[in-house]
Amino acid sequence: MEKLSSLTPEQITQDLLPKKFGKWGKIWTAILIAICLIGAYAYYRQIRYGLVVTNMRDYVSWGIYISNFVFFVAISLVGSLITAIFRLANIEWATPLTRIAEIIAVSAIVFASLIIIVDMGRPERFMYLFLYGRIQSPIMWDVIVIMTYFCISLLLLYMPLLPDLKILLKFKEKSGNALHKLYRFQGSFWQGTKAQFKISEKAITILCVAIIPVAFSIHTVTSWLFATTYRPGWDSTNFGAYFISGAFLVGAGGVVVAMYIFRKFYHLEKYITELHFDKMGKLLVMLSLLYLYFNINEFMTPAFKMKKSEAGHLNELFSGTYAPMFWFAIIGGLIVPIIGLLFKKGRKPLPMFVIAILVVVCAWFKRYLIVTPTLLHPFMPMQEVPASYHHYFPSWEEWAIAMGSLAGALLIITFFARIYPIIPIQETLTEKNEAEKL
Amino acid sequence: MKQKNYKANLFATILFFTIPIVSFCQSDSTTTEKTEEEKPTLSLNVSYHANTNNSMYLLVDTKAKIDGKFTPIKAIKVNLYLDENTDSTIIGKFITDKNGQAKAILPISLQHKWKSKATHTFLAISEATKNFEETTTETIITKSKIEIDTTNDGETKTVTAKVLTFNGTNWVAKPEVELKIGIVRAGGGILSVGEEETFTTDETGVATATFNKDSLPGDAKGYLTLIAKIDQHDEIGNITQEKIIPWGKPSKIDNSFFDKRSLWSTRFRTPIWLLFMAYSIIIGVWGTIIYLIMQIIKIKKLGKINTNTF
Amino acid sequence: MENKDTSRRDFLLTGILATTAIVAGCSDKKNPFTPEDTVTPSGKKVKLLSVDGEIIEVDEAFLKPVPHVPPVSIDESRRGIAGKKFVMVIDLAKCKNLKKCQSACNHMHQVHSSQNWLKVYAMEDADHTAPYWQPTQCMHCDEPPCVKVCPVDATFKREDGIVLIDNERCIGCRFCMAACPYSSRVFNWEPSDYKPTGDEEKIYSPENSIPQKVGTVSKCDFCPDRHREGKLPYCVEACPNGVFYFGDINEDTVTNGSETFRFSELIKDKAGYKLMEDLGTKPSVYYLPPVNRSFPFENGLENENETDKKLIAK
Repeated sequence: MEKLSSLTPEQITQDLLPKKFGKWGKIWTAILIAICLIGAYAYYRQIRYGLVVTNMRDYVSWGIYISNFVFFVAISLVGSLITAIFRLANIEWATPLTRIAEIIAVSAIVFASLIIIVDMGRPERFMYLFLYGRIQSPIMWDVIVIMTYFCISLLLLYMPLLPDLKILLKFKEKSGNALHKLYRFQGSFWQGTKAQFKISEKAITILCVAIIPVAFSIHTVTSWLFATTYRPGWDSTNFGAYFISGAFLVGAGGVVVAMYIFRKFYHLEKYITELHFDKMGKLLVMLSLLYLYFNINEFMTPAFKMKKSEAGHLNELFSGTYAPMFWFAIIGGLIVPIIGLLFKKGRKPLPMFVIAILVVVCAWFKRYLIVTPTLLHPFMPMQEVPASYHHYFPSWEEWAIAMGSLAGALLIITFFARIYPIIPIQETLTEKNEAEKL
Repeated sequence: MKQKNYKANLFATILFFTIPIVSFCQSDSTTTEKTEEEKPTLSLNVSYHANTNNSMYLLVDTKAKIDGKFTPIKAIKVNLYLDENTDSTIIGKFITDKNGQAKAILPISLQHKWKSKATHTFLAISEATKNFEETTTETIITKSKIEIDTTNDGETKTVTAKVLTFNGTNWVAKPEVELKIGIVRAGGGILSVGEEETFTTDETGVATATFNKDSLPGDAKGYLTLIAKIDQHDEIGNITQEKIIPWGKPSKIDNSFFDKRSLWSTRFRTPIWLLFMAYSIIIGVWGTIIYLIMQIIKIKKLGKINTNTF
Repeated sequence: MENKDTSRRDFLLTGILATTAIVAGCSDKKNPFTPEDTVTPSGKKVKLLSVDGEIIEVDEAFLKPVPHVPPVSIDESRRGIAGKKFVMVIDLAKCKNLKKCQSACNHMHQVHSSQNWLKVYAMEDADHTAPYWQPTQCMHCDEPPCVKVCPVDATFKREDGIVLIDNERCIGCRFCMAACPYSSRVFNWEPSDYKPTGDEEKIYSPENSIPQKVGTVSKCDFCPDRHREGKLPYCVEACPNGVFYFGDINEDTVTNGSETFRFSELIKDKAGYKLMEDLGTKPSVYYLPPVNRSFPFENGLENENETDKKLIAK
């Protein structure tokens, strides 16, 4: 962080303070709100007319809601990777990225829970999960783990924010009355004393240790929602690891996309440098290779045997109806990042951004491929149902709600960046001081 | 059980023959317009049933062919008479239920009349409705009963059923009656005691069956309910006779699977290992979270102390 | 009469129709499956004539043509019918895809017209093997994968072996549908298009499963409400070919209404098997292989819908 050394603490603080939306910020927010509203209207229709507005039917009884849920859970795992694993491993270059990762995790987990409620046939009975919860069911495990992960992620977002809140409180004119009140409510007690720092640092370390097993459980349990069934394509012992590796990849991809956008629109070139992109690029290659390994593991062994129950499913993926999407997800989400990011030129911000978007989009389709094609290959032949039960393509309501939930997650991130510094100010200052001491 | 369908009058009789022709000619338009002439014929049935303890009842059954299949017709008013259509011999007025059925018993006022003869006629007259003509049917039965006897010489177990009909003064053997001799089972099934599905009485009115259902589960003490049953016999109607015999194997009902703790049991019977694992993880992780929240409160308190001292 | 018949009257109170002599010996014997016994005595007595012309007294409930058992409470329907363990045997040799079972079931359970609790599959196990018709519904597994995954105890296994759904508990997560390898569960995506006739049972119970509740999962329930009335499931009763046998394994007997067999002998003589036993679900439905068939496979084709005909042609 050579560049940082030339800056005064005041400049750094000024640079990193949350800023009002510019023109693009307003347009962006408006678009997101519009998408959310369309999604909300679609959900209103679903509440009113029932799940019949979706194109899910008895065979494909889980559709893009569930694949979206898996996507959200996956992307939320990055909070534990960047924040906890890197912090524990003393990887300092990642410091400016921790808050980006953590807010992605929190917003994704919020919408993961919401989308699961959307998928319920009887959302008004949501409380039954707590009144009549049955611990034998993997859904209960998921409910518990998601709540836990949400709480830990929120704490991990909040604790490092305390010193920054103190800085924010100094700029009352800039933040305005309402935000000032919010900051005061959240962090007026933080004085930055040694005793407070000591407790806070200890707490953050505990959080970082605690979040890793919880993060692993959340996605492993999500994979078990599938792997605890007999279905070809889901009945796999590889599923937990397969899901986790995929989750880290899409999470890292999501962070790269967010890095690029914040860097560009908040002019953070001095703080999120090409070095960060280079390091994240290498990380993406590593994660892609890991995920590729688990993909091969997942498809190679059943494809070698081609058991009758699996064969229909695998053929459909490799060369059937789902082949274009399957190969797009494999090539776009795995091969392209591996090859593209091996080269130093590929790890420049813009190519990184493009590849990261590809990774995230492919990851979304990969989740769709995990959920839907399997359901179209049950053990019993698909007979005695209307022709529409033999296929699945989401209805506009499903698309609207799924896209609305994605927009909602982005909206949380956007508002968070509007209210709080997206790059930790205090930590940047501390690291600068430490660097100067050396 | 003899049944004859009379039409109420000549007009109806003619209609009866014309309906198939008319409906054939207008098969396309039948659903759109229902005219008087197209009334479907009501099939009215009265069956006689007598059970083990000599209680007896009549079952009235009304159905009609609608859209090519027989459908029970409900809310048909049926008057039942014993032997003749007079006010003094009325058994009762009944209305068929949703299954098109009504159950009738003989009122005690008809005791004298019932006792006076061995053979009786049950006369049923259904009242005309919007959709159906008045219909009449009659069923003739002769008072009969079955007697069951069992022998067990240690090697073979035998069941004999004797069918007797009343001739006015005495009960006499009834040959050539087909009947089932079996064991009463769930859902009304009768498991034949022997090889054959049904048995027929000989000239002495006796049907003999060799019991070959050894070690068949009975009740808790090994009792089986034996039944001899005559179904829809022209003269006799439907009669059954039951007897309880100790030839079964005491049934051991093992429903312990229901109370065992398993992955498919209810939330009250979660396996202990799962409860232990789940709760220890939950307590561990949430204990940490609560500890961390307490740390925040500690920081908060420290902040307040400092504010006060400043 | 009154005095003379005290013992008889007491006996009739319990509703068992057996002779007085038998009663004296074995008054504890109860057969819950004679219709008369399933009727709850109303306590009111009526006098009627016996075959001999004597006057006897019976409970008023005797007067009903069909014993009507009001739906049992949710708690009772979660427990099941004591002492029973229901099984079904499906004789594939007799099935010609008439689908009478299906239409009776759909009608009586008010199932949506595009769905079926009972499906008759055109099966062909492998190349060069003979096709056959296979009716399939809920297998009422003893290790039910669907019950394992239910998060709220909405679907449950009863002590009589039946797997039921409490549609007032079901949250509609559809995990059970994903878990069931037999694809026997359907989801009420929209209100049923069943046209009520006005005679339906009005009170919901997991045992009668009606009316269908939108936003919840439903499936074959083995008709426990019918057992309480001493009757066979609708599909068993509707099949003109006697394909379905139903019974209580504790009694070692199954019946299709006209024929009754000893269950163990039937399974032994005809080499009965269960569907996908390798999954370890332990189904309660047994199949008898399609040997010595009553009908050629082709006879059933006329009842297939167009979509399925095309599939079969492939």
